[in-house]
Formats: sequence, C-alpha cells, structure tokens
Amino acid sequence: MLRAQLRVVLLALRWPAAAAAGLLAVTTVMVVAEWARGRGGIDFNPELSIIPGVVGLLLPIGVWRGEDRFGDGLLWTLPVDRRAHALARVAAGWAWLLLALAVFQAWLLALVLLTGGNVLGDQVVQVLASGTTLAPMGAVEPSQLRTVRLPAEPALWLVPFTAATGAYAIGSAYALGVRHPVRWLVGPLLALLLVSAVGAAAGSRALALAPSGVLETLMYGTYGFDTLLTARSESLHTVARLPSGAVAPVWLALPDLGHWVAATLLWTGGGLAALWLAASRHGERRRA
Amino acid sequence: MEGAMHADLGDGACAVATHGLTKRYGDATALADVALRVPTGAVYLLVGANGAGKSTAFRALLNLERPDAGRAEVLGLDVSARGPEARAQVGYVPDRHDAGPRALTCGELLRYAAAYRPTWDAAYADRLARALALDPAKRVGALSKGNARRLQLLLALAHRPPVLLLDEPTDGLDPLVRRAVLALLAEHLADGPTTVLIATHHVAEVESLADHVGVLRGGRLVAQLDRDALHRTVRRYRVRLADGREAQRTMRGEARDVAAVLAAEGAEVREAAPLRLEDGALALLQEEVPA
Repeated sequence: MLRAQLRVVLLALRWPAAAAAGLLAVTTVMVVAEWARGRGGIDFNPELSIIPGVVGLLLPIGVWRGEDRFGDGLLWTLPVDRRAHALARVAAGWAWLLLALAVFQAWLLALVLLTGGNVLGDQVVQVLASGTTLAPMGAVEPSQLRTVRLPAEPALWLVPFTAATGAYAIGSAYALGVRHPVRWLVGPLLALLLVSAVGAAAGSRALALAPSGVLETLMYGTYGFDTLLTARSESLHTVARLPSGAVAPVWLALPDLGHWVAATLLWTGGGLAALWLAASRHGERRRA
Repeated sequence: MEGAMHADLGDGACAVATHGLTKRYGDATALADVALRVPTGAVYLLVGANGAGKSTAFRALLNLERPDAGRAEVLGLDVSARGPEARAQVGYVPDRHDAGPRALTCGELLRYAAAYRPTWDAAYADRLARALALDPAKRVGALSKGNARRLQLLLALAHRPPVLLLDEPTDGLDPLVRRAVLALLAEHLADGPTTVLIATHHVAEVESLADHVGVLRGGRLVAQLDRDALHRTVRRYRVRLADGREAQRTMRGEARDVAAVLAAEGAEVREAAPLRLEDGALALLQEEVPA
C-alpha cells in the first residue's frame, strides 16, 4: 500500500517538482553570477527554513489534488482499510517532502561552500539591549545595542526538516479533514474581523485589538508558528537605522533552542493529532 | 410495506443482500428498511427516480456510508465489519465521473489500481482499453465525461470481480460506445460467473441482460422480483368496462386474481399482455399498478 502511494504521489507531484527544480537552477545561476561579481558569499541562514515550512504547508494540496476526498472515488473503494490508506498517502507525501528537502539543503550547503559563506560558524551579531525597543522606522542608538558572539548551532540545520514536517502534518490534517477548505479558512478570518469591527464600534479598544493579538501570538509568540518554521530567526531578526544613516542587521533577542524544541513538539504533536482525527473521518464505517 | 411487491428471493444464494438498511440525512430519508436480495449470478436492475436512494445503497454496500440501521452483505461478508474484504470482491462504477488522480495518465492510473488487485488481468485490461478506445497516455484530468466513464468501467471490470456494482454505467457515453459497453458487459458475464447490480435510467439498454428488478421509491424498496415474475404479474389488460367502453389498464397480480378484481368492478378482461422489463419497471416506479 505504501509503495503504491509513494508511486502515485510521485507521479502527481512530478510537474511541480520539475518546476521547483527549474527554479533552483535559475537561482543557482543568479547566485553564482552575483558571487562571481564579488558580491560575497551566502551564509546558511535559518530564516531560509521558512521556504520548506511553507512548502510543507502547501504540499498537501498537490498530494490530494484531484482526489474525491469526501466522495466514493477510487482511493476509498480500493480493498484496504481506509484510514490506513489515507495515512499511507500522507506518509508518502512526507517521504517525498523530506527527500526534496534533503536535496534542497544539500544544494544550499553546496552554494554556501562554493561562495565561501558561513556554514553555521560562530557569528558576531548586534542585539538590542534588554528593556529597549526599536523606535519607529527602526531607528536605534548605538548605546542600545550590544555585540555578542553567537555560537555555532548545528541543530539549526534540523529546523527546515522539523518545520516542513510540522507544517505538512497541519496542512495534511486540513486537506483531509475539511470538506470545504475555503470556508474554513475564510470563516475564522471573517469572524476575527467581525469581532474587531464590533469592538471598534463599541469603543472597546481591548475587544478591537483582541483578534490581532490572537493572530500575533499564534504567529510570532514564543511558541508561535514562526518558532516552528524558523526557530524565531524570522521574527527576531530585523534591520535598524543608526544615527549615521547606516542600516545594520539587529536581533531583537537571541533565539532560544528550547523554545524551538517546545514549539516543534507543540505544533507537530497538534498537527499529528489533527491528522489522526482527519483520517478517522474516512475510516471504515463500523456499526456502533 | 404496504403495496410492496416482493417475490421470495430467499437469503440462501444471495451475492448481495441488505437487511433493514436505513440511512437518513437530517430529516431526509435516503433508505428506509431496504432488504435487497441479489441472487448469485443475477443481473439485478435497480430502478428509481433521482434521489430514490440507489447511489446511497451502492455506497452502503461498499461501506462508504454508515447506515443508521440494518446491515449490508457482499458474498456473505458484513461490509461494516469486513469492508476491505468485501470491496476486494467488487468492481464499482460510481455515479460521478471522477476517475482518479488527475495528474496521472490513464495507463499510470491502471497500474496504480492493479497494485491493489491481486486478481488484475493485465491482458484483459489491455483488451478492454482497446475496445473502449482509451488512450493510455492521456491524462486523467483531461478526459471528457464519456472517456472518464470508460476508464471507470475498465477499472471495475479488469480485476474480474465476482460482483459488479454499476451506478449509471452508460451515463455520458455516446450511443455507439454505449452499445460497445453493453457488448463488453455481456461478454464479461459470459466469461465467468458474475453478479451485477446495476442502477440506470436507461432501462431499455440493459433489458436483454437483466433478470431481476428492484424498484426504489423514496428510499423504500417497493418491488423486487425476477423477470419471469414481472412478466407474469405485471401486465397490461385490455378490458371492456361495464358501460361497454374499452380501456387499457396496467395491473399487478396473478391473472386470475386480476380478472376477479376487474369482474368485481363490472369489467371483463379481453386481452392481457406482459410488459417489457422497461415498461414493467416504469409502471411500478410510477405507482400506476393497482393490485
């Protein structure tokens, strides 16, 4: 069953995979051309794991495209246990995702090595001193910054894999468990907008800001989705404008691997639980 | 079941059977206490208006629907307990035209399905593909409605299942292909023992194949009988009424019982003629057959 699913998912994804390979080839040419012009090497950056994360989130669309998910299509009428069958399809997609990701990481590593970039060596970075915040427009006084040495963290090479896995579990649960995906995407967003509008109309600042607070926490909180996808290297890393007018990369705080591990367990565990429930919707109809 | 007409088809040699099968969607009743009996080797024609419950019954037989009451059996297998085993015995053409993953070619889809079917007959599949003029290189997503139906028929037949569930099998096919499909089906039945449950609005097309008929009306199985019983008990009578006029009436029941009923009304039977399967089924469907 798994072998058949590996084959059918590969066939279903061959054109998107070919397009992605083409995109990588074009990117390679561009990066190498830039490097040849003396623009410096590219470094491994955990922020790049947002790409595998987003791919993992969207991949279930390709894995399930054209399947009659809630009907009596071929997939459900084959002589195998239906929940196991659904999970085999998901597992097949995950296996190809990890393989594609391994290729992507190898490509990235090759580019970093080729251009003489930093493969997770120690870095010296500027961190905003605790208790201070960036002024509007990102203006910052040099006294508000401290220079720290960021030690090498090989575990960060795992972030793309865990990000893709967690996001893929969530995306698969959504694709498999929701009969009307657009409704379930747009509905909650409209509900949040409605709450915000009602709060504003009622003059309740707390109610008006509550939806954006919820989204902010979900996306960029300590254990938010960004922590799963990039170990917070996306939300904590920004640029600041110095009084001299120069623009410098600045960390609002240093990423914490413990937060990444906890967020990964939280989101991936939740995704897997949701996936089990979603697959169970398609299980054999046993009499109560 | 008031007014229902059921020949005793027994339980013993049924390839497909349902027992008190009931399915509701909210307030709507799709199936109500349905007791299908499809004898082994029979070609059973299930007729009913749109929404009568035919497709729901098929899905219940594949364990794609959980009935609210009752159970379904395929070759003696309780489908709710042994769904995969039951589906292994069935070739199914659904009423919808989604043949499978759209990115695959027809040939790839056939190889995919074959991987799940130990009894897949590759030579037969090739022969069917040629007879149905299916291009193996064509993408499933690019198939017309008719071509998708041909592919579904091929998928249903090529593993030579002992039971075929065909839901509107000729829907979307042009007349020439319909004829070819029916010829293939007849050939398939001649090749080996197969039980067929077929739902279609094109009753005349399968008239020569069908030997049993069931009529679903509003989720209830209002009639179920074999072809001989239908010919014998559902007839068109030319009668002379008490006022001397002549009229035609379609009535069900043994001839002498019908004659007695008519005589009580003062009418006299002048001629009785059996109906074609299509006319008989439609008559039962339209409730125009008083007992």
